[in-house]
Amino acid sequence: MTTMLASTAVSSGRVRFVSLRQHSLDVARLRVLWLAMLFALVAAAAIVRIVQVGMGGSGPRMTTLSEALLPDRGEITDRNGAPLARASSGFALWFNPKALGDPANPLVRSPVDVAARLKAIFPDLNQADVADKLASGKAGYLRRRILGEDADLVQRIGELALEMPPESDRIYPQGSMGAHVLGYVDSAGNGKVGMEQVLNDHLNNPLTRGDPVALSIDLRVQGALEDELRRGMLSTNAMGAAGIVLDVDTGEVMALASLPEFDPNKIDAAGVNLMFNRVTNQVYELGSTFKPITIASAIDAGVVRDFGKRYQANQPIKVGRFSIKDSHPLGASLNVPEALIHSSNIVTAEIADELGAKRLRQTMIDLGMNERPYIELPAKGFPIWPGDNWPRLRNMTVSYGHGIAVTPLHLASAYAAMVNGGIWRPATLRKLEAGEAPKGRRVFKASTSYRMRQLLRMIAVYGTGKNADAPGFRVGGKTGSAEKPGKGGYRESSLVSTFAAAFPMDNPRYVIIAMLDEPKGTTASSFQRTAAWNAAPVVGRLVPRIGPVLGVRPDDQADVDISDLRPLIQSAIK
Amino acid sequence: MSSVIPAPIARQPWGMLIPLFVLVGFGAAVLYSAGGGGMQPFAASHLVRFGVFITMASVMVLFSRDIVQLVTYPAYALVLLLLVAVEAIGGMGGGSQRWLNIGPIVLQPSELMKPVIVLVIARFYSTLPAGMIVDWRALIPPTGLILVPMALVLMQPDLGTALAIGFGGVVVMFLAGLPMRWFVGAGAVMAVLAPIAFFFGLKEYQQRRVTTFLDPESDPLGAGYHIMQSKIAIGSGGLSGKGFNEGSQSHLNYLPEPHTDFVFATMAEEWGMLGGLVVIVIFGLILRWGLKVARSSNDRFSKLLASGMVATIFFYVAINLMMVMGLAPVVGIPLPFMSHGGSSMMTNMICIGTLMMINRWNRESPRSGLIS
Repeated sequence: MTTMLASTAVSSGRVRFVSLRQHSLDVARLRVLWLAMLFALVAAAAIVRIVQVGMGGSGPRMTTLSEALLPDRGEITDRNGAPLARASSGFALWFNPKALGDPANPLVRSPVDVAARLKAIFPDLNQADVADKLASGKAGYLRRRILGEDADLVQRIGELALEMPPESDRIYPQGSMGAHVLGYVDSAGNGKVGMEQVLNDHLNNPLTRGDPVALSIDLRVQGALEDELRRGMLSTNAMGAAGIVLDVDTGEVMALASLPEFDPNKIDAAGVNLMFNRVTNQVYELGSTFKPITIASAIDAGVVRDFGKRYQANQPIKVGRFSIKDSHPLGASLNVPEALIHSSNIVTAEIADELGAKRLRQTMIDLGMNERPYIELPAKGFPIWPGDNWPRLRNMTVSYGHGIAVTPLHLASAYAAMVNGGIWRPATLRKLEAGEAPKGRRVFKASTSYRMRQLLRMIAVYGTGKNADAPGFRVGGKTGSAEKPGKGGYRESSLVSTFAAAFPMDNPRYVIIAMLDEPKGTTASSFQRTAAWNAAPVVGRLVPRIGPVLGVRPDDQADVDISDLRPLIQSAIK
Repeated sequence: MSSVIPAPIARQPWGMLIPLFVLVGFGAAVLYSAGGGGMQPFAASHLVRFGVFITMASVMVLFSRDIVQLVTYPAYALVLLLLVAVEAIGGMGGGSQRWLNIGPIVLQPSELMKPVIVLVIARFYSTLPAGMIVDWRALIPPTGLILVPMALVLMQPDLGTALAIGFGGVVVMFLAGLPMRWFVGAGAVMAVLAPIAFFFGLKEYQQRRVTTFLDPESDPLGAGYHIMQSKIAIGSGGLSGKGFNEGSQSHLNYLPEPHTDFVFATMAEEWGMLGGLVVIVIFGLILRWGLKVARSSNDRFSKLLASGMVATIFFYVAINLMMVMGLAPVVGIPLPFMSHGGSSMMTNMICIGTLMMINRWNRESPRSGLIS
């Protein structure tokens, strides 16, 4: 409009020039505006895109070093941090016919040729079988696990269809050691049988699996226990063996073994059959090892006050149709120390009769004999428990370990309570820090416990436990040889022989249970089948091996003071 | 305030210079990281080059309009000769070459052509009578001026730079006020010619770049590698980045060219989206200042020259950012003031120097009230 008004004032040529000029300036201004809009558009696109890419998370998941090092499954160590179960990654050999992009011809070379090349790497390969698999064109495992260096060699064959996917794996670096404690991990990644099952959630949880779980087990003690048990089992042709080393003051299990064992690294049908845990799951009539418990209960109740008091020992006790006798005549009468040293059924039954069923039963309940053993393991055997009202005969048989069947772990906890000052504590497979030990419950008086140390020590020095008396280690303990029940009564030929021990008796630290299932009389056991000749020597060899490891030094000078009781057993000291 | 600071300092265009210094400093920090956490080999030379070229730009500011107009065509001819020389040397050496070694200086004439083409087209249209602009015959000289260097650069072959030269020239023509229908028509012709050029004109590796640009995931380890890794770098930076010197994509050599073409990805990985936005905002400030200079120019030549220079810088920034973010095919165009590389720094500082020069012209001879 301004140009129109101006045109009237100035000459037409001038007007035309000015309007043209004005027009071109307008155009230029408009064009700059176009350019600026283009800039803005690109800037907006860039900003939208950067936000999109930045927020869209097209980048890889951020992993910190600690996340990268997080194992697929938490590790399990012994109490000193030595590895018992480790996470590991292996490789599988997988045939992927689609890898080459031509499912009709998955391989560059012929299947037979590739199979031959694989055979050169894996000598145990079934070449014809693999060639068939490759020719079939179906995806599948050729081998479940291969070594890293073999994976390199497979890579060098140059077949894209041969894939080596990494797979998480579980390694038990100690082989079969502690197999029943640890258990294994199945192909689905779930723990089975042992602590792998108990700790499954903890070991799989990303928040907790970074830190290894320490068990109470001491690798060195476990190894020694398994070694000595195996030696005892093989030398006596026993069908099985079980053993446990228990800390008497905390309830921590230092070693726990059930033989024959399985190999958690390689689970097969034979291994599955051996997963039964004799220590925690199988209940046995543990025989004479119960006698000290009866005596302790009687001392505690004030029934046994005079250790010189003599009980008749050559007349079988008749209760109804049943009569309680000893395996061989032990003399006309025995006092309490002598009865334990010679393991007299008759005297123990007499004392139990005097004690009464009610009080003996209460002691057994206090020792946890009426319930499953206290331990983390999933398989825990329920005792054969005589019920509420014990007749007189049942009271007498229980006193020497018949008519009641418990696991070896029950016995270990009971012995710990007997020697540690009288406190019963649950056994545990978790490592306890100082001060974490459970308070437990008092079963015996401290004075009773002290008497039991003397008596158990005397059995090892003078009685059936002589073969367990490792020099300098002040072992005390009691043998037990019980006939296994069979059809229509007890089978004399098949025994369960047990030695229940503790050491050092002047200040008991550890309880050991060694049990052999159906040992035979062999030259190694002097053709004897009783615990004195097969289970006791196991303990006798084991203690010197584990004592120093557990901080117990052999000492000829130290021992529990038995001078007040020794005069009572002159007959035994020959 | 103005009384305290001496006038020669106060009148400098700080609104552009301060963002520019920040950007170059930021670029040096990113190059420090891209160089494995050291001033060598990238960061130090980056700063030294900037120092040299900002000095060059300061000298350029002193040129008068007449001198610039006088040397326009000779300068164009000289750069054209250099381009021919590159072709000739490359032809004799038996292989493609983009560089000229002049003593210690490695010169890339195609880079020099980017500002020079703007200069020469602006000069042409400033002398063209206004009535001639709509005449189709007036189209022939500038088209030739643009196509000859483009063809020479394409022979090198360097598609990115050729496009940059073409863009600079066409933008000046656009701003000169050529009829809109011509551009629309050219666009239509291009739309028809593009597929033909794609199948017959481009080398196979260039074709692949375009196809992978359309779908980088199709070949993440091959031709799509650059874009994938770049997007991973930007994406993994998140909002605030992994932190200075912590970028794994660049440090572990996943990202190709972390110091030149993909410097933005290197930056975004360590400084995140916020760093990216800061860079874009700074470029926006610099370009806005450039357009302001163009707008306040009081003659046609200055206006066209200033706008063309802004467009040249803009072309670098836009293509590089879009390439790095996967919005454009991978063409080797660096990010101004941040990428390591002397030639691009020189080109962009020539643009900046020219804008500062025009800014001085504007200040010293304010636009006459008559025309505006």
